[in-house]
Amino acid sequence: MTFRGRHWIMLWLLLFLGVAAIVLARRTAALETARRLNVLRDERTALEAERAALQRDLRLTLGRQELGRKAENRLGLHQPADSEFTVFRLPTPDHR
Amino acid sequence: MAKVTTRIASLEVVFVLAVLAVLGRAAQLQIVQRSQWESEAEEQRKLHLVLPARRGGIYDRSGVALAITQEYFHVGIAPTEVEGRSATINAVARSLELPASRLRRDFAKNPKWIYYHGPFTGVQVQALRKVPGIHLTPEFARHYPAGALARSVIGGLNADSGNGASGIELALDSILTGLPGEEVVLRDRAGRRYESPSRLVSDPVPGEDVYLTLDAELQEIAEHGLDDAIERLKAAGGDVVFMDPSTGELLAIASRRRVDQDLIGNRPSFFTDPFEPGSTAKLFTAAALLSLHRVDSTDEVYGEEGKWSMPGRTKPITDAHTTHGNLTLAKAIEVSSNIAMAKFSQRLSASEQYDALRDFGFGSPTGVEFPSEARGRLPTPDQWKPGYNGPSVAMGYAFGVTPVQLAAAYGALANDGVLLTPTLIREIRGPDGKVRYRHKPEPVRRAVRREVVRTLREYLAGAVGEGGTGERAQLVNYTLMGKTGTAQRFEGGHYVTGSYTASFAALFPADDPQLVVIVKIDDPKGDYYGGATAAPVTRGMLQEALATRRSAIDRRRLATSEAPATSDTASRVEPEAETSVVLPWPLSADSTKARDRRPVPNVVGANLRKAAVALHRRGFQVALRGGGLVVRTSPAAGDSLTAGGTVTVWAQ
Repeated sequence: MTFRGRHWIMLWLLLFLGVAAIVLARRTAALETARRLNVLRDERTALEAERAALQRDLRLTLGRQELGRKAENRLGLHQPADSEFTVFRLPTPDHR
Repeated sequence: MAKVTTRIASLEVVFVLAVLAVLGRAAQLQIVQRSQWESEAEEQRKLHLVLPARRGGIYDRSGVALAITQEYFHVGIAPTEVEGRSATINAVARSLELPASRLRRDFAKNPKWIYYHGPFTGVQVQALRKVPGIHLTPEFARHYPAGALARSVIGGLNADSGNGASGIELALDSILTGLPGEEVVLRDRAGRRYESPSRLVSDPVPGEDVYLTLDAELQEIAEHGLDDAIERLKAAGGDVVFMDPSTGELLAIASRRRVDQDLIGNRPSFFTDPFEPGSTAKLFTAAALLSLHRVDSTDEVYGEEGKWSMPGRTKPITDAHTTHGNLTLAKAIEVSSNIAMAKFSQRLSASEQYDALRDFGFGSPTGVEFPSEARGRLPTPDQWKPGYNGPSVAMGYAFGVTPVQLAAAYGALANDGVLLTPTLIREIRGPDGKVRYRHKPEPVRRAVRREVVRTLREYLAGAVGEGGTGERAQLVNYTLMGKTGTAQRFEGGHYVTGSYTASFAALFPADDPQLVVIVKIDDPKGDYYGGATAAPVTRGMLQEALATRRSAIDRRRLATSEAPATSDTASRVEPEAETSVVLPWPLSADSTKARDRRPVPNVVGANLRKAAVALHRRGFQVALRGGGLVVRTSPAAGDSLTAGGTVTVWAQ
């Protein structure tokens, strides 16, 4: 079978359609990726904000003033004087 | 016919000219003006957006966040785009914690646009992202997770420019500020953005993170300790400085002023406000007397029973703690005798006294990384009135020091006489986490000889011993040394009767100081002496610092510093090998690394490449001798060597 003019036209048309389909698919994928990226960015922003809020709450809750007050009021503890605790010496690698 | 031919020819010429004109114009547009039209088209089609860079964070020495930059949002609502007004109102009210009634009122006005400035956090607006008609405008804003902790040091940002306005935020603005990025998005004829992936021209580069020398826990102890003291003593304000004398690192700095019955902590007076140090400065005159051999341990002066009218002075010099008989220099420091110090100071010339104070850093800024640090006040000898300034300076009057200057000067006494530059910056890390800068101790000068320091430290120990003015600072199981100070306040050009600055300067623990502590209380009421006010405050803060789970105090070194067998607990702790933290002087190039010693790994039998890699990983330099397999190293495996030191490797 010999290629005639209309065959060539068909072939070129198919080629064009193929290339166009690939371009379209790539653009669609890129758009989808961009959307997903935006969603992830938003989520990260929200998580960062949440982390900062939690850190602040932790800092306030575990702060010396708050914790000391609770320990005094609820448990009857007090800030120890230096005579009330002992600093133990950790063994150094040479002395283990 | 000729006429027709002529006409045709004319038409052809016109046609050709027209074609040439079109081609010429096309060439002009396409070739000559190409770039101009191209850029104009680009401008119409593309939108350049600036991507703001996140400002670097500020952390304490162990990574506790003190200032971070977070993305916040402003919320806009386009009522015409809203689907389901009631549901939207409820969603917005719930998320932004706004009253629904307010939103309903705003909607009832039928505006084109409703705006809520906020700013709201990412958590708050997360549920609103997909609600039609709601538009979020992001913005970076500074957040201080630790609240008011160390705010006078951290400083703040300019509300308009977002640049540093005060404190560390200002001093390190160029480091904290990042580099904005740029992206391009496509838009249509109406200027609306296409929903298409943007093209990134350049990524924003976040600012670098700054790790301060401050210890958040110690800072909290200092701030609350100072608050309590000011409240208890009904004082006008105060300052506290904790410094590591071996590095010059400021571990905690607090400042409070009473304004209309409220305690305000936003003024960094530890850097900016000089005060007359009173007796805490007697030690520096003593340093000059000892350095110049004008006094020996047996020299005595008469104490004048606590009151002395010095020739040439209008007011008599008095001692708060009256002593009978003669006083040595050691005793004069111990009981804080103004009269004895005034008498001893007469053995020094004005320039000798001045030089001693200059050597300890008074009268010039310490060089700490803080904007607007004060230099203090130290008149040059030519401004001294004979017979007045010398004795006054010996008593701690007639010159002004900032609390940080005083801490640095006492740090020199802890550091074998070497004055170091105090610092607030421990480390700077890039956005990739790599360390860009790490603080190394910066010696300024040797302020005083080592043997003189030993004597001065004995004096300091005496001042907090039994009968000393600082006795009430002493702990039970650990010893400290220090000096009290009580100075009449100089305000509005004259000394105010009944108004004093009480202070205490301490080195803790006494035998191997890890901390310099300066406590200053302004105008305390009642028993105003430094020994009765600032000294017990110091003791309380040190007790709290000792009891913390994670504190700046090195417990391994502390175990050797307990007071000798004062209790059962003390006797249970065995002494440990000494760990030197004192810098040698003069300072060699690598001497700042002296503390970072590590064992040499065993590379015998390995090939040269592997041996070199192993040694480099441990932080050593490698010098090669021969080739093949390693047969020995110098220093040998297991020996310790300073990081950065050279290990010689022999191979066969």
